[in-house]
Amino acid sequence: MSFDQNAFLIILTGSLIAISCGLLGVFMMLRKMSMTGDAISHAVLPGIVIGFFVAGSQRGIEVIIGAGLLGILATLIIDWLRQKARVQLDASIGITFTLLFAIGIILINMLANNVDLDQECVLYGEIAYIPIDLWITGSGAVLGPRITYLALLNFTLVAGFIYFFFKELTLTSFDESFGSVIGIPSKGINLALMSMVSYTTVSSFEAVGAILVVALLVVPPATAFLWTKNMMPLIKLTTVLGIAISILGYYLAYLFDSSIAGMMVSVAGVLFLLSALIKGRSRKSAGTSIANI
Amino acid sequence: MIIQAESPVLEIHDMTVSYDQSPVLWNVDFTLPSGQLIGVLGPNGAGKSTLIKAIMGLVEPSGGYVKVFDRSLAEVRSRISYVPQRESVDWNFPASVLDVVIMGTYGKLGLFKRPGKREKEVALASLDQVGMSAFVNRQISELSGGQQQRVFLARALAQDADLYLMDEPFAGVDMATEATIFELLKRMTKEGKTVVVVHHDIYSAMTYFDWMIMLNLHLVASGPKNQVVTEELLRKTYGGKLNLLSKVSEIVRKQDFNPLES
Ligand SMILES: Nc1ncnc2c1ncn2[C@@H]1O[C@H](COP(=O)(O)OP(=O)(O)OP(=O)(O)O)[C@@H](O)[C@H]1O
Ligand SMILES: [Mg+2]
Repeated sequence: MSFDQNAFLIILTGSLIAISCGLLGVFMMLRKMSMTGDAISHAVLPGIVIGFFVAGSQRGIEVIIGAGLLGILATLIIDWLRQKARVQLDASIGITFTLLFAIGIILINMLANNVDLDQECVLYGEIAYIPIDLWITGSGAVLGPRITYLALLNFTLVAGFIYFFFKELTLTSFDESFGSVIGIPSKGINLALMSMVSYTTVSSFEAVGAILVVALLVVPPATAFLWTKNMMPLIKLTTVLGIAISILGYYLAYLFDSSIAGMMVSVAGVLFLLSALIKGRSRKSAGTSIANI
Repeated sequence: MIIQAESPVLEIHDMTVSYDQSPVLWNVDFTLPSGQLIGVLGPNGAGKSTLIKAIMGLVEPSGGYVKVFDRSLAEVRSRISYVPQRESVDWNFPASVLDVVIMGTYGKLGLFKRPGKREKEVALASLDQVGMSAFVNRQISELSGGQQQRVFLARALAQDADLYLMDEPFAGVDMATEATIFELLKRMTKEGKTVVVVHHDIYSAMTYFDWMIMLNLHLVASGPKNQVVTEELLRKTYGGKLNLLSKVSEIVRKQDFNPLES
């Protein structure tokens, strides 16, 4: 077991991603929308593929835009199915994301011959390659690990979003109607949150994969909610959990020679189960949001 | 019987509200005076909550319009406050009593500004008015039903609005507290504020309200209490449940009835 620069980079990137996901996940959980986060992270797949096809590489801004648009489209379809077509929320989520995800898979297979898209990477990510995936400018200067920069940018934007809209996010999570009545743009806030979730999903998929992002959105907030009933401690604990998951995940993966992202999520799961065993009985709502992973 | 108010604060014109194409409120048309305590009466499913939500734009009317302070809703939002039915939120939310009441001040604060000392003082004063000072730092998940209701009332008070719409704010509130809060609402109307309350108890309604709206899918009556609360109109509203109505007509006769004295 060693602590070198590579380990530091991987843990740092993992922490940044886990914190970004966790911070957004807190509000998704409080809005009883954890499963919508799940839906978004699957639904962005066709967007990633199309963006990838347009850009010709996994790194284009088109990929992020494509995925972002698909994520928002997914939330709009879910809302529409629920409100206009009167489909149950869980059913509309299930229909929307499996459909979009399936389209994504078909697109990957159809386009895979033309472009070099690593299906494994999109689905599972590979955080271990971070140190060798460098950001090289046109003039040839090496600026450092590309994905770490992406994660840092993502974290900055998520933290800024939550900092500046903290009171609106909290109020509309607690009582959306009251927010609308006193003139808070509830719909806009909701859409902004969904956009941030989509963006975070895309920004993170290369590192941890589109599927494991879901776990980072849902598990740390649900775990923290077992321990505290206050907003600020909830956010702080979620952040600490994000860091702990990255550190433990990295070293356990090192020890067992297995996937780092997979180990991070396993650690998160174990921490949740332990918390649930200790704290479980009294708080049910956090538990229901995690039951579906 | 529909009596129109002079220089109304609220004007509803020929409004129809539907869920899934089936109307639950038909051609509702009335005006409300300012500075009065106004009761909304009607049986379960009469459309009382729907009426309140339509006034605030939470449900879109399929016909007609609403005007508040002679303006469209969007222009006067911060002057309107709302006390929703308690069941409309999850009380397991991570917030203290004070956190929730401070939310009442957010409308006036505007984007990006954080609540400060002034907002906290407003919230504490509002909590004092509903007798909840002892619970300022309590988690909202640890309140009784009646206490939750009082927190919602305090949040509305903290908003310092001109028109208050309250959906069954007294559900689960004990009689002594109900009387105190009614007195508080009365005082507010004296300051020129208008308070509209959905209420199920005809006895206390007769005691406290100045103006009454009676609703059962259609508007049955709207006007000063003494003119519209008649046996005939109550029968029309509640569909003639006789033993209830004979009691009520007794109350109507004894206009000075006070539930706390009997
Ligand atoms: N979201 C909804 N979708 C479909 N129908 C609804 C919805 N909300 C209410 N309704 C129907 O509209 C009618 C009026 O409901 P509303 O909630 O306004 O009644 P209410 O007078 O407030 O009743 P209560 O005294 O029980 O609170 C009822 O028949 C109800 O079934
Ligand atoms: Mg109701």
